[in-house]
Amino acid sequence: MKLTVNGESVDVGDGINVTELLKVQEVKMPDMVSVELNGEILDRDKFDNTTLNDGDTLELLYFMGGGA
Amino acid sequence: MPALEGKERHSAIRDLIIAGLSEEIMSDKELHIETQFIHGGYEPEKTTGATQAPIFASTAFAYESAESIENVFAGREFGYVYSRLSNPTLTAFEARMTQLENGLASLVCASGMAAISTTVMTLAGAGDEIISGASIFGGTYSLFDRTLPRYGITTKFVEATDPEAYRQAITDKTRLIFVETIGNPRLDVPAIADIAKVAREHGVLLVVDNTTSTPYLFRPATLGADIVVHSTSKFINGSANAIGGIIVDAGSYDWSHARAERIHDYQKRAGKFAFMAAMRSQIHRDLGACLSPFNAFLMTTGVETLGVRMQQHCENAQAMAEWLSADSRVEETRYIGLESHPDYGVATRQFGGRYGALLTLRLGTRERSFTFLNGLKRAQILANLGDVKTLVIHPASTICREATKEQQIQMGVTPDLVRVSVGIEHIDDIKADFDDSLNKM
Repeated sequence: MKLTVNGESVDVGDGINVTELLKVQEVKMPDMVSVELNGEILDRDKFDNTTLNDGDTLELLYFMGGGA
Repeated sequence: MPALEGKERHSAIRDLIIAGLSEEIMSDKELHIETQFIHGGYEPEKTTGATQAPIFASTAFAYESAESIENVFAGREFGYVYSRLSNPTLTAFEARMTQLENGLASLVCASGMAAISTTVMTLAGAGDEIISGASIFGGTYSLFDRTLPRYGITTKFVEATDPEAYRQAITDKTRLIFVETIGNPRLDVPAIADIAKVAREHGVLLVVDNTTSTPYLFRPATLGADIVVHSTSKFINGSANAIGGIIVDAGSYDWSHARAERIHDYQKRAGKFAFMAAMRSQIHRDLGACLSPFNAFLMTTGVETLGVRMQQHCENAQAMAEWLSADSRVEETRYIGLESHPDYGVATRQFGGRYGALLTLRLGTRERSFTFLNGLKRAQILANLGDVKTLVIHPASTICREATKEQQIQMGVTPDLVRVSVGIEHIDDIKADFDDSLNKM
């Protein structure tokens, strides 16, 4: 399925959840990334059981960077 | 020098920022503390091999495109923007202190007072309460007693060494407990583990000021402190050439607890980093009490020698205390390494048989104290502690002068009290200076 991650189109396996997406995208220090799913901040404790759907838009955002 | 652009540059900066949190560095926690003082959180810089973290004396950081800086502001990429928010030299010092205090992450501030005020203002707001030991540094006492109430945050002061006193002061509005490891200048030693137990039972966060003991004597996080703060201007720096402070999050507090409601928005998106995110993205950013990169450099290099300095501070202070306590010219010598000190047992257990640099003397009257201070040749009369030099001060007329008589009693301050921060000069020279001056009284 196709997702839009940080503005770029990404192909991933069907039915993966947010935790799996962070792994697939090889996000370093995933503990330091917050996730917006279709414009809404996603609670961290929902990463495991939030299954993604084709066409979802995600923003993976570092909250500890110099751009805070 | 090869220039990094775009994604490569963002990755390099990200690696630098998270260096102190990486698994490689974390494994260094097995090293002895003296080794961590020197190597903790920093490896030779990759481009030039510089063995010290360079001073990035740059207010802002340039980007090659509008899109690139937009990505950093959005949080899609790591990047330094403006040195009030972050700077590579500050990152290096933060990484070292995170490791030295067994923490999760750190934030440097302009001073120890900035570290404390930023911590409290992040976790408490109008209508909230905090609890503090009563025998704390005069500046911190004033912040809690006079300044924070103007913004609706009130403090209940309790007997610092009595865990039950903290328990009795806890209400639904309590946001944190604040404790100093060695009360200044009362030199009382709260049992951190016992206070941490009370705090944990009530879900209250425990903030410990480790300035006077330093990670050389002990690491409060190992006994249950949730946040550790320092005035790094003191022993961490060592040579008294810069002001600074730091906040270390031990990573032990559950930020989803109702008492942390002021930062629940950050908890949702930042999880265990909620406190750091709240400070960096809001309170610290908005208050602006940032450290200069030059001062961060002085702290990072200063802390390298903390081990040998503290060893000598402790040895000299113990020798001075034993000598002065047997001297009839001094009415009372207070040092936590003397068996006569009421907290000697707690201090011995907590600090592993090392007792720090601070001692106090009672000389009978204010006049005799002034005569003694004025008669010293080498020890310097000034408002600081933790310098390599021996320092002396009369607290009642200086650092505690704003306190009422009653508050001064709580702080252990009497009109004849002299505080001594014993330096690392040769012990015979410190003794001779004191001996000559005591003879002039």
